[in-house]
Amino acid sequence: MLKLVDLVKAYRTEEVETTALNSVNIHVRDGEFVAIMGPSGCGKSSLLNIVGMLDTPTSGQYWFNGEEVSKYGERKLADIRKKNIGFIFQSFNLIDELTVFENVELALLYHDIPARERKERVKAALEKVNIGHRESHLPQQLSGGQQQRVAIARAVVAKPKMLLADEPTGNLDSANGDEVMRMLTDLNAEGTTIVMVTHSMPHAQYATRIINLFDGQVVAENLRAA
Amino acid sequence: MLRNWIMVALRTLLRHRLHAVLNLSGLAVGLSACLLILLFVRHETGYDRFFTDADRLYQVTLEWRVPGRKPERAAYSQMGFGPAFKNAHPEVQDFTRFTQGRSILSTGDRQFYEWTVTVDPNFLSMFDFRLIAGDAATALTDPSSIVMTEEMARKYFGDAPALGQVVTVDRKHALKVTAVLANLPPNTSLDFDLLLPQHSPVSAWMLEQEKHWGNSNGATFIRLKPGASVEALRAGMRDWVKRTVTPLQTPQGPIDLAELVYPDLRPLTDIHTHPLAGDITPGISQTELTTFTAVAFLILIIACINFMNLATARATQRAREVSVRKVVGASRAQLVAQFLGESVLMTVFALLLSLALVELALPAFSDFLGKELSLDVQQDPLLLPMLLGLVLLVGIGGGAYPAFLLSSFNPAYTMKSAGAGTTGGSGRLRTTLVVVQFAISIALMVATSVVYGQFIYAQHKNLGYNTDNTLIIGHFRDDGVREKTQTFIDMLRQDPGVVGIGLSGHIPGDAGENNTLIKRLTGGAPDDLLMRQDSVSPGFFEALGMQMVAGRSFDRDRAADLVQRPDWMTENRPPPEGTTELFLPAGVILNESAVKALGFEGPAAALGQQVKIMDGPVSYLLGTIIGVVADFHYRSVHEPIRPVMYISDETRHHAMAVRAKAGHLQAVVDKIDRVWAELVPDRPIQRSFFDVNIANQYQREQKTSQMFATFSALAIFISCLGLYGLASFTAERRTKEIGLRKVLGASVPDIVRLLVWQFSKPVLVANLIAWPVAWVCMDRWLSDFTYRIDLNPLLFMGAGLVALVIAWLTVGLHAARVARSRPITALRYE
Repeated sequence: MLKLVDLVKAYRTEEVETTALNSVNIHVRDGEFVAIMGPSGCGKSSLLNIVGMLDTPTSGQYWFNGEEVSKYGERKLADIRKKNIGFIFQSFNLIDELTVFENVELALLYHDIPARERKERVKAALEKVNIGHRESHLPQQLSGGQQQRVAIARAVVAKPKMLLADEPTGNLDSANGDEVMRMLTDLNAEGTTIVMVTHSMPHAQYATRIINLFDGQVVAENLRAA
Repeated sequence: MLRNWIMVALRTLLRHRLHAVLNLSGLAVGLSACLLILLFVRHETGYDRFFTDADRLYQVTLEWRVPGRKPERAAYSQMGFGPAFKNAHPEVQDFTRFTQGRSILSTGDRQFYEWTVTVDPNFLSMFDFRLIAGDAATALTDPSSIVMTEEMARKYFGDAPALGQVVTVDRKHALKVTAVLANLPPNTSLDFDLLLPQHSPVSAWMLEQEKHWGNSNGATFIRLKPGASVEALRAGMRDWVKRTVTPLQTPQGPIDLAELVYPDLRPLTDIHTHPLAGDITPGISQTELTTFTAVAFLILIIACINFMNLATARATQRAREVSVRKVVGASRAQLVAQFLGESVLMTVFALLLSLALVELALPAFSDFLGKELSLDVQQDPLLLPMLLGLVLLVGIGGGAYPAFLLSSFNPAYTMKSAGAGTTGGSGRLRTTLVVVQFAISIALMVATSVVYGQFIYAQHKNLGYNTDNTLIIGHFRDDGVREKTQTFIDMLRQDPGVVGIGLSGHIPGDAGENNTLIKRLTGGAPDDLLMRQDSVSPGFFEALGMQMVAGRSFDRDRAADLVQRPDWMTENRPPPEGTTELFLPAGVILNESAVKALGFEGPAAALGQQVKIMDGPVSYLLGTIIGVVADFHYRSVHEPIRPVMYISDETRHHAMAVRAKAGHLQAVVDKIDRVWAELVPDRPIQRSFFDVNIANQYQREQKTSQMFATFSALAIFISCLGLYGLASFTAERRTKEIGLRKVLGASVPDIVRLLVWQFSKPVLVANLIAWPVAWVCMDRWLSDFTYRIDLNPLLFMGAGLVALVIAWLTVGLHAARVARSRPITALRYE
């Protein structure tokens, strides 16, 4: 699915240059569930941003589905991202002005899908995360766990090949966290590749492989027995 | 997708009500102001276009280049011009003259003075006004015909049909109504209530004037044949005049009029927007049109800036939405389209609101202007595209920057946490925009004060006479009145309330004038000087309070002061056989400008000097200068005072001025009406108040100033709305900082000062931009006036201070509220 070769990400301010990722090499195969762990500031988020094509690396290569995308421009990246990648965030990032249904539908609006099909798919996605009964509510009216389930529905409704999750359970209590993790596992079982950043060891255990980052470098990879 | 955009837009509006209200109301007020001005400008530029042949109709104009005077282009021409010009130019299809006069109209018991207009019989075919009754082609062919407007018909005949009725004009001519016109539309530069044919017995004297190329009596319009080139015609006019106009024969020898008069053609549709002296209706100058259009767009710019500033300031709140949309696949172009669409939608709302506002304001505005403006899409096919254009201009103009800014957010940085976000675009740009807004507002404030100051100065400038408690009565040269003038005066003098009576050919405020040649008998320039001449009775200067600066005024007891004419002259007969030159003695009073023009060392030096004044075909006045009167204004103070010589010739006294003692005005008015009714029972009196006549000259100017002031105030109001919004967002964004400052010991005043100062800086900078720009513009504007105020730096500082105070008030309220809140709420906020 994706291969990072000697990937470097450096941030420059006027005086200081900070290296967030230092020569990272990672290979994620189709259908894998990878968890990335590490302390604060180790580069997890930078890595996820680049993998999610929200940011570009300073140097190195990024192969996605056999395509070297590290030098692509914003428009091209947006196109690949739209077709292949779904996102889940720690803070849910639902749009306050839109209902649950509309929030999920948003992910299909940019795909040229007819309204009727959109409706069916959104309903299906909401059912899948058990939130169908609240489709006309606004995000503020939901609990954190429910909001994250909506976010998951939104991430998967366009049927992405890969799901990127940035501490998806970070703002949730353990019951809701476990629920979210079960859903991710199910999705993975259905064939979706998942890359997840997390602080939580128990939740990382859901993954098939854990990558540890420290100071911008991969320090360990443990393949969990399947 | 569109549904989603609109929904988000609407819900965002609802969620951020303050923002929405500020944005919408600012934009709506701005659009309304802009629309009102644009409607006004469209009305003003749309004059006379409804005539079928509007593009082929031209008015003859003459530029008088009199040596020693500024060239003056005027809208009146000689009676002989039209016929001669048409004869010589096959491309001219026809012509009509248009000459105003005043007559008494009577039917049964109704009798009034009315303005009449004498035209050639083809007038109604050239200017196809709408007829209610009668036939345009033949209405003016019979000499005893008269055409009236609906309003006139109603005045004289009530609801009865006017067609075929007979009216008596000037008590002797019975004329038949041959056509009734619909009341004239508001957008024509022609103005009349009654039309008489050129060969009407009422205006017999006019055809006589065709021979006199030295007199301009009215307007001449020509219609070109289709396809004829007006440029070629104009180019040849000067040569044609040289060939055609014979020199004016005077005792001093011939005067070549072709050297004095430069003819030209003015398109009918340009008349209203390129006004000249002698226009039938007052026009609007290009400067005024440009100024108002500029004000409209400046207001629009201010409203757009509000929009941009509020939108970018709020960018933070939209950052998450932008990021989510990007993450799920929105392209930048789609986001730009969404936000542009949002601002266009906003503008549409604002426009709807402003259409309502305009509808509400329009009657008052029309009333104020004395015009009929309307917001009628059906009537004006250009209105709809204009509105659409306005929406796109404002929506895209104001929305472009926020759209590009918002769509540029990188989701990688805006998605991190729920509350935090970017700073929402460059704060510096926002400050720059606020500077621009306030610079415009301050400049408008300065401009308004200068325009107003000049207006007040003009109104209060010492005109050279006193207009209080004074009545002006007309028509003392008419048959039946002339003979009774002295009795009239004698009867009035018995009233203790009357303190002064004087007669003259022209009273200040009148338009007409006479000019003749004057020359000093000894010394002075070798050539004759063309100078304005007027006649006043003894007591006239005293009655109106004009000051003598040297010598004395006319004295009725000194026969040599007054012009005594032989009977053949007063009775308008030709001179007796053998009379080749006749010298009439006369006392002459000069104004100060005339003293200078004739080259005297000073007023005292002119006294006792003799002048030769051209009077008639064979007559001169041999004048002795008996006094010098202080300069005074005949017309608006905006026109320079010209040299004038005064004689006292009772055959030329047309109007009477009567001054009443303070507090006795009404009694004197009653007395005058009674005496008139007793002496001249068969004629209506025509009287007016002197101060009203003079004030009327400034009416238009007053309206312009008021309109300007109103729109400037609106501009400032809109700027403040924007500032208020911006201040509220800044205060909100800085709650944490303010909380921390308070924890660290800052007091409420400290914090208010901090915020107020932050918003004072742009206003101060705005002054630095506004002052020089306003100075240059207003100095140029004032340079058109002969008598003008000076630009006072205090005015500029005052405008700056006003802007600053308004900004303080706007921001201070917010600052105080935020500063007073308990720090813990502020800190918990984020």
